[in-house]
Amino acid sequence: MKNNNGLISRFYTITSALILVCFLGSCKKEVFDTGLTKDFVLQSAADGVSYDIKVGLPGNYNSSSGKYATIYVLDGKENFDLVANKCKEISDQHGVANVLVVSIGYGNDRSEDYTPTKVSQVTGGAAQFLNFIKTQLIPEIEQRYRADSSRESRVILGHSYGGLFGGYAFSVDNKLFGNYILLSPSFWFDDLVSLQLEKDHRTDIKHRKQLVFMGIGEAENSGRMQAPFEAFYQTLQDNYTNIKLAKNIASNLDHLGSKDPNIVQGLNYYFKNR
Amino acid sequence: MNFQKYLVPALFFFLSAHVIAQGDGSVTGKNRYPVRQLTIEPGIGIHTNFATDLLITNLVQWNPKKHLSLVSHSSYNINNIAQRDFNGIKTNYNYSINQKFGIGRTFYSKRSANTFLFMAGVKYTSFKETLNDPDNNKVSSAINAFSPDYGLMYSLKKGVKKYFFSFRMYVPLYPWPAKDFNILYVDGNMNNIALEFGVGIKIK
Repeated sequence: MKNNNGLISRFYTITSALILVCFLGSCKKEVFDTGLTKDFVLQSAADGVSYDIKVGLPGNYNSSSGKYATIYVLDGKENFDLVANKCKEISDQHGVANVLVVSIGYGNDRSEDYTPTKVSQVTGGAAQFLNFIKTQLIPEIEQRYRADSSRESRVILGHSYGGLFGGYAFSVDNKLFGNYILLSPSFWFDDLVSLQLEKDHRTDIKHRKQLVFMGIGEAENSGRMQAPFEAFYQTLQDNYTNIKLAKNIASNLDHLGSKDPNIVQGLNYYFKNR
Repeated sequence: MNFQKYLVPALFFFLSAHVIAQGDGSVTGKNRYPVRQLTIEPGIGIHTNFATDLLITNLVQWNPKKHLSLVSHSSYNINNIAQRDFNGIKTNYNYSINQKFGIGRTFYSKRSANTFLFMAGVKYTSFKETLNDPDNNKVSSAINAFSPDYGLMYSLKKGVKKYFFSFRMYVPLYPWPAKDFNILYVDGNMNNIALEFGVGIKIK
């Protein structure tokens, strides 16, 4: 009986330790320096929806001189801290100026704000959301902070539907952003409408200077991600004359697992090549 | 959301506790569960990723001692079986093959044998997608990749005769570290838990 109790006790200990290790692994979360983080709420003039905006400032931010490039981060609630921390780390590594990181929180459902066409009740708000960014958010950021107002100094970063929205901005209003970090973009959406939008606007934008980084996970095998990703990449490669273009396929990682590694790869590419 | 987040570790913990509570490693008496030295347990299964993958699997379990278990687990997975043509994107093929070996401990109760194992091996994934849309060029993308595959397996045997019911649950721990236990969040880990059912055969 004593032996059995010992066995049970050991088993409980091992199981508990295993679960504890798993939880500790899961609890690790990036947090950006709160002293360098500013936040405010911006209400959309079109539909009255409020967006939580956070701005991560460079450590040596100078409010009276100089201009800073700006990275606009979609799904900001999830991605802001990682992006802001990595921007600091990578800019330090390369010895280049850091950027302002602007987190765009959720207003409407992301599936509404980030999708270009209406295929259900909660999709098709990309035009309005892009207009909000263009006419309200960017002017607000450039008024509050020393953000460079040139197209070449603006980056948009998005994952999944966020990547789809980045592709939409690339095609439809290419004058707004000069740099695109498109991660696991949902280009399958609405019968590949993103590929069609790019084709429709290609003549106007194909000679414009731009930087595009595309990332995806090697294990994204849901039957919808890889081929449109490759098609968009090849289109840019074959038709765009003044583009800095790269892609990364994150080994063994899936749609969500590849997000953070590809954010890091995308930021590295941006800082090296901007 | 919290419920989902803690579902998997809670499930694993309570399952372990349940087995320990009802089972006794050295039960003796007329009604004790038979100790099988060698079994083959073919089965079919699904992943927890919305049950879109069909798994054809086999477990060979050898118990050189009553409580010590050594296993070989093979699995051929037809991935995303229900959706092969989506929004103008055709899936030409999509499968993976897993081969793992494991070591663990078997606990016996009156009606079942329960084995907890640590598994390690390799996974080969191969799939190809093609844009099959008249408005776009016919672009294909193919992935052929090996990756490590390790994790925890629970194996249940129920039935005392030569043929018995077999159930297995495999929780992959690769890619590691898992970011979260929310089953909706982590692809490749909690989203790919395998649940397998089959008929086991006692060889020895």
